[in-house]
Amino acid sequence: MAKSKTIKVDYLARVEGEGALYIRYDDGGVRDVKLKIFEPPRFFEGFMRGRDYLEAPDITARICGICPVAYQMSALHAMEHALGLTPTAELRDLRRLIYCGEWIESHALHIFMLHAPDFLGYDNAVAMAKDHPAIVQDGLEIKKAGNAIVSLIGGREVHPINVRVGGFYRVPTVEELGPLREQLLKARDMAVQTAHWAASLTFPRFERPATDPYEFVALSHPREYPMNEGRIVSTRGLNIPVEEYETHFREEHIDYSNALHSVLVERGAYLVGPMARYNLNYEHLSPLVQQTAEVIGFPPFCANPFQSIVVRSLEVLYAFDEALRIIDSYRRPEQPYLATDPRESSGCAATEAPRGLLYHRYDINDRGKITDARIVAPTSQNQKSIEDDLRHLLPKFLDLPENRLQARCEQAIRNYDPCISCSTHFLQLHLEHDEGRGGAGI
Amino acid sequence: MSGAIPGSWAIISLGNRFRGDDSVGPYLLHRLRVRLGDAVDCLENGGDMTRLLEDWKGRGVCLVDAVVAQGRDLGEIIHLDGLTETLPAGVCTTSSHGFTLAEALELAHLLDSLPDKLEIYAICGSNFATGAPLSPAVLAAAKKVEQEILQYLAQQAGGPPCTNNR
Repeated sequence: MAKSKTIKVDYLARVEGEGALYIRYDDGGVRDVKLKIFEPPRFFEGFMRGRDYLEAPDITARICGICPVAYQMSALHAMEHALGLTPTAELRDLRRLIYCGEWIESHALHIFMLHAPDFLGYDNAVAMAKDHPAIVQDGLEIKKAGNAIVSLIGGREVHPINVRVGGFYRVPTVEELGPLREQLLKARDMAVQTAHWAASLTFPRFERPATDPYEFVALSHPREYPMNEGRIVSTRGLNIPVEEYETHFREEHIDYSNALHSVLVERGAYLVGPMARYNLNYEHLSPLVQQTAEVIGFPPFCANPFQSIVVRSLEVLYAFDEALRIIDSYRRPEQPYLATDPRESSGCAATEAPRGLLYHRYDINDRGKITDARIVAPTSQNQKSIEDDLRHLLPKFLDLPENRLQARCEQAIRNYDPCISCSTHFLQLHLEHDEGRGGAGI
Repeated sequence: MSGAIPGSWAIISLGNRFRGDDSVGPYLLHRLRVRLGDAVDCLENGGDMTRLLEDWKGRGVCLVDAVVAQGRDLGEIIHLDGLTETLPAGVCTTSSHGFTLAEALELAHLLDSLPDKLEIYAICGSNFATGAPLSPAVLAAAKKVEQEILQYLAQQAGGPPCTNNR
C-alpha cells in the first residue's frame, strides 16, 4: 500500500490576493499540485471600463502596494502606444529612474525580509533580526534608498502620483537630484556587499530535468537592460513585438483557482522575472554588475531558482548603477509632459515589473473613455512554472523530515516572489497524514 | 487647534482604499489631512509594514486601520497605546507581505526604530470586498475617531480640545 501525503497551504491575504497550495504525493512521486490564487487584477480590468484614459496609470497603480510604478509604466506606455506618442529621451530616462527605485524597493524587501530567513533557518525576518540585526538593517537602508527615488520622482513613496500619460506632472531640477545622488552612492556600496553575502548562502541543489527545462521569457532591448521597452524574447527562440503578445500567450481558466493561468500557446509553462531578465540580457548589465558577478563566481546564466536571491541582489546593484548614470547625465525636460488628445484606438505595452513581464492592453473611444482593458501580471504568468517546480522538487527531497519538506516547498514558491504571497512567510501550513486509506488518503 | 503640535507627529493609515471597510484608514487620513494641513505628516501605508519603521521612528504617531469585526460590533472603535498595550487578536494582523503590526513593532524594537508614542485606532468592519463602499456604522465610527485624534493632537499642542465637530 503506497503511503500518500498531502501538503495543504491556506493563505488569506488582505491586499494583493489570496492563494493556497495543495500537493499530494507519495514515494513514487508527486500526484497532484495545485497553486490556487485569487487575483484582484481581474476586478481592476472591470473598474477601468468607462474611466478616462488619463486615469489608467493611477487606478492600476492601486493593484499593488509594492510595485505600483510597474502598473503605472505599463499603463501609460500602452496609452501612448494607442495614441502614437513617443516620449522625449529625457522623460524616458526619468521613467527608467523611477523604475530603478521600485526594483530596489521590491527586491530589497524580498531579499532581506522574505527570502533570507529561508536560507538562514528562521521562520521570519523578525526572528532573523534577533540574531542578524545588521543584515535586516542593511536591507532596510537599501530599501530606503529605493523609496527615496520613488518619492522624489513619483511625488510620494507609496502609490506615486506624479506619473502621467505623456510624461510627469512635474519633473525634478538638477539640484533636487543632488542629495539623492549622495544617498544612492552609499547604498550602492551596500548593494555590492549584498551581492557578496547572497552568493555566500547555501543553496538547495535543484535544476529542471533536460526533458522539461524552463522557458525564460523577458523583454530584450538592443542597447540596455530592459525595463520599459523591448521585444519579448525567450530562451527557446521566441522573438516578437509586444503587439503580438496575445497571439503567443493565452490565459486559461483552471477549475481550482480564480486566477487565470498564462501559457505560451506553442509550448505551455514559462518563467518571467529576474532570472529570465538576467539570463536573456546579461550583456546589458553594467560593468560593475558584471564584474561583481564574476568576483562572486556567479555565472551569466542561472538555472537554479533558489539562486534567484543572488540574481535579485545583482539587479539591485544594477538599479543603483543605472539610477546614478541617469542622474549624472540628467537634463531637465523642457516640458514635463507631452500633450495628448484622445482618439478611438487600441494600445498595448509590456514592461519589466520587479517580478517580471507585466502586460497591459487598452481600447479607448474617441472621447478617451476606456472600453476594454486587459492586464496580465507576472505572478499569473509564473503559476504553472511554480507548480512544475514543485513537481520536480519534491522527489529530490523526500528524505527530508516533513516539516523541512514543507519549508522547502514554501521556499520554492518564494523563489518567485509571487505577489500573492508576497508572503508566503505568512502562510498557515497544514500537513495531514493518513496512512490507512488505500494509498491516497491524507 | 491652538498652538503648534510639538515635535514631529504623523498620522499613518493602513488598509486598501478599494476594499470596502478596509478603506476606513485612508478615508480618515484624507479627512485629517484636510483639517490639519501641514501641521502633521499624513502617510498612507499601502501594506508594507517595513515602511512603518522609517515613518514612525522617533516620533509621535496616530495609526488608523480597519479590523475584521469578529466577535465585536460593526463600527466598534478599538483605541490602545501601541507601545504599552498588547494588540488584541485580529488587530492589524495582515499586510501585503505578511508582516503584522505586532511584528513591525518587534522589529522596530530590535532595530531601535520605535516611535516615541503610538496611538492605535482600529475600527471594526465587516465588508472588505473589492469595490464595496464603507459600511454606515464604520463611516460613523470614522468621524468619531477623527474628532478623537484632533482632540488628542490639540492636547499635545497644549491647547483646549478641539470642539469643531463639522
